[in-house]
Amino acid sequence: MKQIAERRAQIAGFTIALCLGFAAFAQNVTVIRDATILTITHGKIEHGSVVMRGGKIVAVGLDAQVSVPSGATVIDGAGKYVTPGIIDTHSHTSVDGSVNEISLPNSGAVRIGDVLTNEDVNVYRQLAGGTTTALVLHGSANSIGGQSQIVKWKYGRPLSEWFIPDAPRTIKFALGENPKSSNFRPPPGIPAQYPATRMGVEEVIRKSFLDAKDYMAKWDEYDARKKRGENPIPPRRDLMLDVMADILRGKVDVHSHCYRTDEILMLLNLSDELGFKVRELHHVLEGYKVAREIAAHGVGGGTFIDWWGFKAEAYDAIPYNVAMMENAGVVTVVNSDSDELARRLNLDAAKAIKYGGLSEDEALKLCTINGAKLLRLDHRLGSIEVGKDADLVIWTGHPFSTYSRVETTFIEGDVYFDRTKDLAMRAELAKEKRDRLKKEADEEGKNKKGKKEPANG
Amino acid sequence: MRSKWTPVLPILLLLLPIAAQAQAPGVYAITGATVHPANGPDIVNGTVLIRDGLIEAVGANVAIPPDAAVIDAKGAHVYPGLIDAQTSLGFPSARPQTRRRGGGGQRGAQQEQLPETSPAYIAMRNVNLTDDDIDAARGIGVTTIVTAPAFGIFNGQSAVLNLGTGTAEERVIKSPAAMQISFNPRPAWTFPDSLMGVIAYIRQTMLDAQWYSSARAVYDKNPTVGPRPETSESLEAMQPVIAKNLPVVFVADGELMIRRAQKIASEFGLRYIISGGRQGYRFADDLKAANVPVLVSVKWPIAPTSKEDREEQPLRVIRDRQLAPTTPSVFVKSGVTFALVSGAGKTGDFIPGIRKAMDNGLSADDALKATTIWPARIFGVDRQLGSLEHGKIANVVVSDKPIFDKEAKITREFVDGREVRLPSPDKKAGESAPSAVDGTWRLTVRSSQGDVAVTVTLHNENGALTGTFSGDKGSGDIRNGSFDGTTVEFTVAVKGQSETESSDWVFHGTLDGTSMSGSVTTSLGTVQFTGSKGR
Repeated sequence: MKQIAERRAQIAGFTIALCLGFAAFAQNVTVIRDATILTITHGKIEHGSVVMRGGKIVAVGLDAQVSVPSGATVIDGAGKYVTPGIIDTHSHTSVDGSVNEISLPNSGAVRIGDVLTNEDVNVYRQLAGGTTTALVLHGSANSIGGQSQIVKWKYGRPLSEWFIPDAPRTIKFALGENPKSSNFRPPPGIPAQYPATRMGVEEVIRKSFLDAKDYMAKWDEYDARKKRGENPIPPRRDLMLDVMADILRGKVDVHSHCYRTDEILMLLNLSDELGFKVRELHHVLEGYKVAREIAAHGVGGGTFIDWWGFKAEAYDAIPYNVAMMENAGVVTVVNSDSDELARRLNLDAAKAIKYGGLSEDEALKLCTINGAKLLRLDHRLGSIEVGKDADLVIWTGHPFSTYSRVETTFIEGDVYFDRTKDLAMRAELAKEKRDRLKKEADEEGKNKKGKKEPANG
Repeated sequence: MRSKWTPVLPILLLLLPIAAQAQAPGVYAITGATVHPANGPDIVNGTVLIRDGLIEAVGANVAIPPDAAVIDAKGAHVYPGLIDAQTSLGFPSARPQTRRRGGGGQRGAQQEQLPETSPAYIAMRNVNLTDDDIDAARGIGVTTIVTAPAFGIFNGQSAVLNLGTGTAEERVIKSPAAMQISFNPRPAWTFPDSLMGVIAYIRQTMLDAQWYSSARAVYDKNPTVGPRPETSESLEAMQPVIAKNLPVVFVADGELMIRRAQKIASEFGLRYIISGGRQGYRFADDLKAANVPVLVSVKWPIAPTSKEDREEQPLRVIRDRQLAPTTPSVFVKSGVTFALVSGAGKTGDFIPGIRKAMDNGLSADDALKATTIWPARIFGVDRQLGSLEHGKIANVVVSDKPIFDKEAKITREFVDGREVRLPSPDKKAGESAPSAVDGTWRLTVRSSQGDVAVTVTLHNENGALTGTFSGDKGSGDIRNGSFDGTTVEFTVAVKGQSETESSDWVFHGTLDGTSMSGSVTTSLGTVQFTGSKGR
């Protein structure tokens, strides 16, 4: 109960905080001076400066080498650390309604991008943990789930601004227990749905691609006949087959949920057989056993560092998985799959130093540039370099210390979280809430009185 | 325009001899009242002359013909009949309990697999208005409704109906009025069971309708081109929609849902109307820019009954609940075309809901327009309805006090120029009476990972349950709720620590006084729950 009460208090605090929003959204120039800058790709700069303008990083280097443009907002970073925004390639935050369209073995026609909400307080909490970019995925109830959506957590801004214009399209696949058992005990009156085994999952995926190839051939034939001057009946467009075809054309990246070696190898073999590419294996708790094979396919791995045992297929996990995959040449990231874990992915990355001996630089990549690479956005995200998006986080200390806190989170140069301002606005918002509740209570009291009168009279 | 009458006309012709036998509309002169014509200034001590079902004259100096029955309405107020432009009167409010799987694979997205409703469902043919429905509406001055079922996704083709005497066909002002689409996920495990599935389903149906017309066009030109395309009643019914001849009414309440509807509309170039719109105050200027009419539901959000529940709600929710009733006045300022409708609310809550909008800045004059001439314009029936002027259909209401006053009572009412029966005073539509299931329930779900507490607040509307849930597994609105007196059913979307635990929980419970128990079907199996009603 105490826990619940505490959580409620927390929720209330954060909920209140989100209502005002911070961002000034002017194309102001901001400079962070005299901070320790963890650039990710070019090492650590002590007493460094970063200049943000027009949403981009326009200068980074030693204080002495970076001049402060006139009119710039200057933030004193003495004793503080600056990192790029943290990237979470496995999120389900900010989905309105169910994250699963559970009814079909292949629900590829549905799109997470259609149902995002910009009112999920978890987004704000994640900004408070330095997370700025996420791949919001469909759930894992189906062998082939819905199309997923890469977003920046621009909390307080319209959803249209959350989408990254040049981000690739993505789709969720899922292997193993979830797709094979999500449907095996439906409510009375609804028959169990295929597939019920791992074999069936494979078959659903294979069949979907084969159907897509037929579909593409039909359209090719139609186009050819049109070219010959004929006027044939057009094939029917099918949203599910459209997306399967776009996977085959390399226009949609496959992000697949998986746990066990057998299913991982199954998917890699299937991708060879059918000619599609897998971009990232998610969870992939047994990835360390087949890291070479994964690397050879050019596939990335997104995993939990120390979260396992929550079901039978998650028993063979080890905390060394991250380091072993990374060392085998797999581009590896730590994932959240959770509203809460997404607030501290920096600490999960840190654990890869203890478990597997990654260097500090390598570990930092697990929650920054590697994620950017797997999302094909490393040209604009994941490190502090001139020309990249000004998605920056100021920490009170090294992000690998449990004592460090996020002070300010920027996305494209605008402030989306600021601890000082958050604390300052709480009282004001708490007052608004009190006033509004009081107003309601007063009105209710009046109405009750009003209703009684005619009865008495 | 002619096409909309084609299905109606033969029926009307058949019924003509019967209609002729009904009591002929007479000649009435309502005198001495303050006339509120809705299209111009009030007329003190005015006269409204009704003849043969139409309004013959309105004014301060109308000569009263010798054949007129004179109704002395001194001190009373005369209005055009109110139009409630979003109802589901005459249809069951809960979906019929048929469950069917959506079918597998690529055929899953096809429209034929929705058994409940479809684009081909014609409200005019199926509407079943009871005397109680009609009395309740008339009792508050509503003489015209727009109606369609509320369940399903493609709710069907709505109809504008006069609440007069006679057969359903005689009541029709316009059918189809619009194609009504709701974002209602279907029960779990039945496509589409998620909001994103619903959107994909709507999108696929629009694509199919486009395909249908192009495939048909090719085939009609040259039948030897290949196998003939299938004939589909649903896709046939969608043709006027994709040709922009028939507007779509999207039932969408919040800003996010409205924007989703707008996205679909722009993707397929639809003519459309938004219904619900209670969060319109947040982005009235955008709605104005999009030039989209909004049917604003006056079923304003209500606070939870328990003080504790209220205090637990985030400020955002409280603020929204208090600002929603400002939507109509904000719309007037921004110039958004709108009407006030009862929407998902009961008829008896319509006038109190309008009053609340007036308490929040809407003038009485605009409230009247928003329930008469504006909805008439939105549905393209303003040449027939919506104001008291020469040549319009004689839907006329006499009220002893200004019609939106708390104590106002409708004393006389004319529909199509015939005086209609009004409900006896004791039967006057009250505000919704609570049902046994209404209230806050504290439920305990015995899940495989231990007990999970869920608090649900339920509200029964003729068998359809709405409400909210909160607890260890997140919070939100319940979906697919139904209540038949003892059996309760509803779905909540729970959020777990990890996505693997996130899914729909479908509650099937039995009510026993203030306790409830039953089963919860989750993606990981079926478990039991028990619970009781809070204060």
